[in-house]
Amino acid sequence: MDRSIELAVVVSAVDYGEADRIVTLLTEHRGRVSAFAAGARKSKRRFAGALEPGTLLRAHLVARRGSTWRLDSVDLDRSHLALRTDLPRLSRALYALELCRELVRDEQPHPALFRILVEYLGQLEANRAGPTSLIAFELAALGLAGFMPRFSACALCGGGLVEPVRFDADHGGCVCGPCGLRTAHGVPVSRELAAALAGLQAGERTPMPADQRARARELLNRFVAHQLGRRLNAVDFMAQLGLD
Amino acid sequence: MTPAPLNRLVAQLAKLPGIGEKTAQRLAFHLLRSPPEYALELSGAIQEVVAQVRLCPRCFSLAEGALCPLCTDARREDRVLCVVEGVADLLAIERTREFKGRYHVLHGVLSPLEGVGPDQLRIRELITRLGDSPVEEIIVATNPDVEGEATALYLMRLLKPMGVKVSRIAQGIPMGGDLEYADQATLARALQGRREL
Repeated sequence: MDRSIELAVVVSAVDYGEADRIVTLLTEHRGRVSAFAAGARKSKRRFAGALEPGTLLRAHLVARRGSTWRLDSVDLDRSHLALRTDLPRLSRALYALELCRELVRDEQPHPALFRILVEYLGQLEANRAGPTSLIAFELAALGLAGFMPRFSACALCGGGLVEPVRFDADHGGCVCGPCGLRTAHGVPVSRELAAALAGLQAGERTPMPADQRARARELLNRFVAHQLGRRLNAVDFMAQLGLD
Repeated sequence: MTPAPLNRLVAQLAKLPGIGEKTAQRLAFHLLRSPPEYALELSGAIQEVVAQVRLCPRCFSLAEGALCPLCTDARREDRVLCVVEGVADLLAIERTREFKGRYHVLHGVLSPLEGVGPDQLRIRELITRLGDSPVEEIIVATNPDVEGEATALYLMRLLKPMGVKVSRIAQGIPMGGDLEYADQATLARALQGRREL
């Protein structure tokens, strides 16, 4: 029987039956893994408090038939409890978790994505990650998953971003004025915003003003929905609560 | 092969949460073997529940009449309101016999990952209710999980500006518990929420 101990972040968990849970984990070396945690809702010793989204743990997994593992027990590494005292930070953490869950496929390792997620959760918990940090995280996660949107040059011709610049999710980023004439679904975007997003992709951490963040959020929502085929649930949740 | 009414019963039972096809079949055969009065009483009880039990328009708990017994009980304290996720939680708190105030049932919790926002819960009704009641304190008794905490934080943001005291139920070591066997998250929470003696 294949057994494995994996460092993992709980990205989501759903109740199953009377007392069980099915947990989705982003593991460091196995990528996304679904695990069946028998008796998890009643167990006070093996899982209590640990199978919550955002928890970093060592999962003791046992292979079963099919794609779902059995979660035998966990060793808690970091529960990120401080996130649960602040709604904006908690929402950002849940957004990051949902994004990572959707960006990867089962059992395809993404150690770099795992590492930036763990780092981001740590920064959120330490209150060192403001609203711009979520956009920076999102851009980094998209890049690591192979969906890097292009903001520094035209996604079609590779040249400079000549006005009027448009953002076209179909073509993977910003397109220059002349190329924009050939794209059907592009939306106008200022060169300042494109430059700010390119800066975040390059590792700059200058906080963006609220109106620029709102515009960036629109573009990224459009891009992520295009790549994943649906909007993330956390997007609508944050919009309803007026959070970013 | 099996009679059509039995198939229909199995199909209906299998729609219940936690009941699969096999269990539904077993339950159906049990009903068939039981005295006919039992099956009639069961169907009568289901019909009564459907016809007579409604959500209380004030607290959204279950009611048989216009309001639920908890809302009509004049001995209960009007100034304290306990907000719970579901009716089962209300019943659990009632069993303690410690709380003498009123209740408000949200019928769910905010769930960012499932896309459940404030509009899907009875939060608007809670705000309306506060407008014409003498509530001074709201105790948020949602579960101590991520969704429950998100709901509590949202309610705090919403209710604090209205001048209402908002409190959260305590979390930590259970009565009769043993520190040695307590899980790390609960123990950490208990330390954070320690109180002066």
